[in-house]
Amino acid sequence: MSGHTMAAIEVNGLTKSYGETVANDDLTFSIERGEIFGYLGPNGAGKSTTIRQLLGFQSPTEGTATVLGADVRDQRALRSVKSRIGYLPGEPAFTESVTGQEFLDYQAALKGDSRREELLELFTPPLDRKIREYSTGNKQMLGIVQAFMHDPDLLVMDEPTSGLDPLKQEAFNAFLREERERGKTVFFSSHILGEVRRVCDRVGIIRDGRLVTVETVDDLLARGGKRVRVHTAEPLSRAELARDGVVDFESEGRVAQFTFTGDFNRLFEELSGHRIVDVEIDEPPIEEVFMHFYGGEDGA
Amino acid sequence: MLETTRFEGRQRVRGSLALALLLGVFSLLIIYIFPSIAESAADIDAMIDALPESFREGFGAETYTTIEGFVAAELYQFIWVLLLGLYMAYTAGGTLADDVDSGRVYLVLATPIARTQLVLEKFLALFVPIVVLTLLVPLFVFGGTLAIDYPLDPVYLIAVHVLSIPYLLVCAGIGLVLSVVFDRGDVAQRGGIAVVFLLFLLDSVTAGTDVEWLGAVSPTRYIDPTEILLHESLELGDAVLLLGVALALVLLSVVSFEDRDV
Repeated sequence: MSGHTMAAIEVNGLTKSYGETVANDDLTFSIERGEIFGYLGPNGAGKSTTIRQLLGFQSPTEGTATVLGADVRDQRALRSVKSRIGYLPGEPAFTESVTGQEFLDYQAALKGDSRREELLELFTPPLDRKIREYSTGNKQMLGIVQAFMHDPDLLVMDEPTSGLDPLKQEAFNAFLREERERGKTVFFSSHILGEVRRVCDRVGIIRDGRLVTVETVDDLLARGGKRVRVHTAEPLSRAELARDGVVDFESEGRVAQFTFTGDFNRLFEELSGHRIVDVEIDEPPIEEVFMHFYGGEDGA
Repeated sequence: MLETTRFEGRQRVRGSLALALLLGVFSLLIIYIFPSIAESAADIDAMIDALPESFREGFGAETYTTIEGFVAAELYQFIWVLLLGLYMAYTAGGTLADDVDSGRVYLVLATPIARTQLVLEKFLALFVPIVVLTLLVPLFVFGGTLAIDYPLDPVYLIAVHVLSIPYLLVCAGIGLVLSVVFDRGDVAQRGGIAVVFLLFLLDSVTAGTDVEWLGAVSPTRYIDPTEILLHESLELGDAVLLLGVALALVLLSVVSFEDRDV
């Protein structure tokens, strides 16, 4: 992965431990300019830890990363590219006693606000009210406006759609796609595969601090397999099927259900010994694809 | 430049004005009872002399029969040196630790601002309460003493206020260091109060004893309103020393905030 000098973010052996706990364990991946990269993982997997190191808030225990060419261990270098980075923390926190307007004015003084008005047409926090009175959704929108308002080249966002109502989530996803068309690079974390599938080009999946896989969304879905439901005349048991490719086998009477990622010819050969009443083969729910990486050892 | 100081300073204006008003009114009340003490037949100064030295030193109580001695002890030693010192340490304790604690600091550090600059600007915003109090409270005090017909010498009144600025900066510096070291705002704030109070005690209880030198680590030893108001003596060297310590504390904060994880 190294050697791509054009990469917007390049993570190299990044490791962060807090005492005994290893929050990020030897992560290596890169994000190309102009792509939307989803950083997926359950809560506590280490997503925010990675992001905080990319922004220079925390220093790596080992390894490093570069962001727009700046080494994250070098505060000075990192600072010189920060005006080109937009950042949205998870559950953004603000000075509660000021109004949204005052907060944006302060941020504008620090980094600029060439797109503020345009963004406020799309995302509409009540700017003249004190932030103390804001709902979670309004805080999130205020966070989104500040992240984009200085027209940065790279966006780093931690769970950007959390707290937004479904309509605003859709508006945000559409906005992200437009931003990609304008050449922006987007790196965001999520624990919802559905939204990642809708907007991302590639995903990295992190679990227990380790990178499980980095692949395109299409590959991920292909690897996610199909949901198979078989109704047989006699009950079907797990042992009668090939060990490879059968995940999450469940049966209830004469109906068996599982996710299949293997070779369908072998599956049908094995099933041909049974009298089949009905078969359904479907796209798996996206969450199940995800479970394929997170679930028990048989999914790994 | 100074975006953060402006942003933070604005939020401190209302609280500072309220505090100045409160202290101003309190000063008037204290001053209002002075004539009855000065004209009372009881020998209050003999009573003060009978108090333990550490108590007298701690509250700068030397004489209550002159307006200078009375105001110095009742108002300045107690309110200005002790309470305001605690207030500054407490307030400064919240500056960075609260931001780190709540996660507010992320949105600021994500911008091109240097950490050093953030610490310095946050400290500068603490000048708002200091300046507001220094400008307003002496007006109440002077007005009050005029009204009861025991006017203080305005030169030494102003001197008390000006010379206590370095002291208050040291207290703020103590809070700032704690604010950088701890990442929980309430811990840093309570710590600031505890440190300043313990230093004050150390200075008081060692006064007049063999271990008086121990109290020399306390900033309260280098500001003495009684000395200024009553004896009209200005220890400029002490003020410079306090300024130097305040500066060192700020530098220490800057250095320790530079590399820490937030």
